Amino acid sequence: MTSVISDKRKGLIEKILRFTPYILAVILWCLLAFKEQYYLKKVEDLSVFLFDKLFILEWFKTPGGFLGLAGMFLTQFLHLPWLGALLWVVLLLIAYQLTVRVFNIPESYRPLALIAPVLLVIANMSLGYGVFIMREQDHFFGPLLGYLVSLVPMTVIPRIRHKWAKALFIPVWGAAGFELFGTFALIGLLVTALASLVRPQATRKERFTEFLCMVACIIFIPIFMYPAYTTYRMADSWIMGLPSISDDRWTHAMRAPIQLALLCPLILGLIQYRLQQKPLKDNKKYLTNAILYIVSVAAVWGFWFKDPNFHTELAMSDAVDSFDWKKAIRIYHDASRSQGQSFEPTRSMVMYRDLALLKTNQALDKAFTMKDGSKMQKSRTVIPMAWQSGKQIYLQYGLVNMSYRWCLEDVIEHGWSYGTLKYMVMHSVVMHEEEFARKYINKLSKTLFYRKWAKGQTALAHDSTLMASTKPYSEILPYMCFENRMTNDMVKTEGFMMRHYTEAIPTNPTPEFDRAALFWAMRIQNIQVFWSCLYDYAQTNKVEQLPRAVEEAAILYSSLEKPPFELRFSKNTTDRYNAFRRFVENNPVRDIKESSEKYYSKFGDTFFYYYYFIRDLKTY
Amino acid sequence: MRRSIIPILALLLTACSPKEPADSVQTGSAPHIFPDYTDVTIPGNIAPTNFLIEEVGQDYVTVLQAGSDRVTIGGNSVRIPFRKWQKLTQSPEIKVTVYVQKEGKWNAYNPFTLTVSDDIDPYISYRIIPVAVESYEKLSIRQRNITNYKEKVIFANTMIQNNVDQTCINCHHYQNWDTDNMMFHVRHYKGGTILVLDGKLHKVNMKTDSTISAGVYPSWHPTHDYIALSNNWTHQSVHAASHDKLEVIDENNDIILYDTRTNTVSPIENDSNELECYPGWSADGRTLYYVSAHYEGEFGPGRETQLFLDRKQLHFNLYSKSFDPETRVWGPKQLLYDAVATDSSMTWPRVSPDGRWMVCCVSTHGIFPLDQIASDFVLFDLKDNTYRYIDEINSQYAESFHCWSSNGKWMLFSTRREDGVHTRLYFSHIDEQGHFSKPMALPQRDPEFNREFLNAFNIPELMKEPVHITPRQFASFISSTEATRSNYEPRKGE
Repeated sequence: MTSVISDKRKGLIEKILRFTPYILAVILWCLLAFKEQYYLKKVEDLSVFLFDKLFILEWFKTPGGFLGLAGMFLTQFLHLPWLGALLWVVLLLIAYQLTVRVFNIPESYRPLALIAPVLLVIANMSLGYGVFIMREQDHFFGPLLGYLVSLVPMTVIPRIRHKWAKALFIPVWGAAGFELFGTFALIGLLVTALASLVRPQATRKERFTEFLCMVACIIFIPIFMYPAYTTYRMADSWIMGLPSISDDRWTHAMRAPIQLALLCPLILGLIQYRLQQKPLKDNKKYLTNAILYIVSVAAVWGFWFKDPNFHTELAMSDAVDSFDWKKAIRIYHDASRSQGQSFEPTRSMVMYRDLALLKTNQALDKAFTMKDGSKMQKSRTVIPMAWQSGKQIYLQYGLVNMSYRWCLEDVIEHGWSYGTLKYMVMHSVVMHEEEFARKYINKLSKTLFYRKWAKGQTALAHDSTLMASTKPYSEILPYMCFENRMTNDMVKTEGFMMRHYTEAIPTNPTPEFDRAALFWAMRIQNIQVFWSCLYDYAQTNKVEQLPRAVEEAAILYSSLEKPPFELRFSKNTTDRYNAFRRFVENNPVRDIKESSEKYYSKFGDTFFYYYYFIRDLKTY
Repeated sequence: MRRSIIPILALLLTACSPKEPADSVQTGSAPHIFPDYTDVTIPGNIAPTNFLIEEVGQDYVTVLQAGSDRVTIGGNSVRIPFRKWQKLTQSPEIKVTVYVQKEGKWNAYNPFTLTVSDDIDPYISYRIIPVAVESYEKLSIRQRNITNYKEKVIFANTMIQNNVDQTCINCHHYQNWDTDNMMFHVRHYKGGTILVLDGKLHKVNMKTDSTISAGVYPSWHPTHDYIALSNNWTHQSVHAASHDKLEVIDENNDIILYDTRTNTVSPIENDSNELECYPGWSADGRTLYYVSAHYEGEFGPGRETQLFLDRKQLHFNLYSKSFDPETRVWGPKQLLYDAVATDSSMTWPRVSPDGRWMVCCVSTHGIFPLDQIASDFVLFDLKDNTYRYIDEINSQYAESFHCWSSNGKWMLFSTRREDGVHTRLYFSHIDEQGHFSKPMALPQRDPEFNREFLNAFNIPELMKEPVHITPRQFASFISSTEATRSNYEPRKGE
């Protein structure tokens, strides 16, 4: 009876262990599709795949180009995060299954086959802000595909019986594989070469001949093939296809899990025969399996980039890209609520929020009532806002050429992407540059998910009246009413915006432009500029009641400096200001940091607090 | 069996090949094609001028006829077979008729003519560059055999730069269209001016303690071992609201003479109140043309900002200066074109090999024609010192860098005429009276190439022969060689 129960239990445990990778895969998919959807969309937005001969041929000018193309082909499906995530998870499972089969890993050690997929998950999900400065656009799928490719020689070479066939396959794979898959093909050969040294079926002579043949291919093929290329340095021949970041130390850190993943087959190849000879007893097997699974899950979770501000930025960026201002504000509120007291936004979040508030005509009421801050990015190196969101922010504020400039900087550093192509279309449409727009519309019409959008833009590029009444152009044009002048943001978006809106000379001022100018005047806390912008604002906006923050600023500034025109304030504002003054008298501020909490609880939603306590914001 | 297959195959081939429609209606208009090759003059040795028919229709037939040679091509992407093209270009004129089938009926457009004229140097080189602002990541100088479509890289910065240290390459140039003596600059990482002298590689640093920068825009002396170069201290800025996206200014400019044999730099013009740039030799090498703007702003931290503010007052006059190549003695400068008086700005003077003509870029202000929509070409007749705007070439967008063919019959130039932003290469033929033919685009195998390609062509140069040094040789040399510092020598003469 006991043994029957124990057998049942054993069967159940075996089943659980066997299905654990699949259960983990489902959990991973759920996390990606529903918790990381904005990250996946950003990865897609920063890449491009065109069904275009010129585009495809360009990729073959570099070893590993085909792998890059395949990676970017798959990356486009991240446009629908659930679908892209599904493809990725299925490929991870294939990698797991192939590893089991290629190295014939016995059940006792089955989770060892999970190590490489786990490392590849870590490589992608620990990237964080690095996604904005990745040089290779296939980085999400590429290394995983590369891992699969690296298993090919290990699968094929030992199965080739005839020695001449083998001798032919090795250099052919080396040369063709290097061209198509870059270094991943060579790593496959290296794994096979090392594994061949311990292959029990072969004679010592056979082992060494195979080993030397493969090692020679790894060394000499890139050297012989180098003159055919002009796209990389000779010294980089053996890392072609590996992703990189425009920061050397970060590149090494980001590549580490990928390189470790590629090392796994190397180790498995060396120990596979030992593993096969030493199966573990049941209890040990269960324990080993359980430990390996737990370690895998813990490693993934530990390295997963979970920074809430990063995720909020991505979600707000997505909302800005779809001109959904209410959603952008809601995301900011949700982030603020969910993080409670510890919430401090990054400047990118504040910029997105203020933009959304301006577009919905709420900025002068609400921007100064919300929590401000300048939490630094949780990033190895600071990614300037201009790189991250310059093209979005500048375009929406009517600075089309600055947006154009940052699109191009992005293109030059990281290549064309769906995002840059879309913004290039918008720049040219809003500037009535039809021929120019057509070029980029044509490119986007060769994509899977943007062709419909591109088709819609064709009509707008041709018909400026239609364009002027269609979103987002209808919301951008009112901000484009200033005299041309030479500008340079010195890679500081926020500071530039302050200067632009307080210094630009409007040609035909619109209410929207003057609202933005007044808003930025309040941001720079310059009283003279404020009076001037307030005057312009009153001219075009014709409001009966000044927005709350404006009135607070005006009453505060009136007490500091005589206004150039007469002002009347509402009772609410006067009462609030008097309460603030009384509070100041009873709670003198000796140290801004010390007092800020006390003042925030009482006046955190006023311009008075903003003026006196929001200091030293570090923008980037 | 074999005998019966041949006629069957021939029949099948004939059945597949397009036929000129027997019945067609005359539209009375010229067809819309891209690139616009209607009624252009072409070099006798140019690659087939493939084009795209931009008329809406169900079927297309194009007939090219020259004397008794006749080629019929189907489809709206007209790709002319190379062998047949070579036969066609033996005749002085090729008549092209385009037929488009619409609603079942064939429409015949007015035939246009390709006038076959003088041959042109068979190679060109250019820099391929993203429509850039400040960054540069992938730049290459390439050469193209224009008698066919073969393009090769001369050198690419990707061959030496790494993930962090970036390299810029620019200003490739040749002596007398020959590639045995050539140069280009490598900036920043592994920087220096790369000189090929009689086929041998050299790397020099022309920046001396007495000059404001290394050499920039070059002009190689036609008979002696000198290169005249500008020194530029360049900045760029973005237009906040304009179809012109960028503005380039130089905080300071001078012109120097570089002696390639002694590695010596000497000043030609270095007045601190003048911004001298774009040297260009006369055909005999006894006169140097250049441009210069008078600017008295103070040197210091605010100069760049002030120059941007004053940019519309920067009018570059055209000057010449006599030169004795044997003694290296310079004569005084002479004003040839008063840009200040005409509220314009003259740049990039280039003299034809026969010494008769000079073409410059003219714009409203400033030094960088590439980024100015208003930039046009102006032709100087050096025989009678007259000039005129070359209306037959100028477009609504920027015309910029140009060069003459070695026989003086052709001008190759870069222009943004196609979309206002991407610079493309065009040719134009000049006759004895100084009239240019309608510009023709550099032929591409895929006629849609210019529309599809997202990079720009920059600084075109014609060459009699290809560059023989391989990209790998350049890369290995540039990576492994330190630049030799040039010596400084004061100017002689006046």
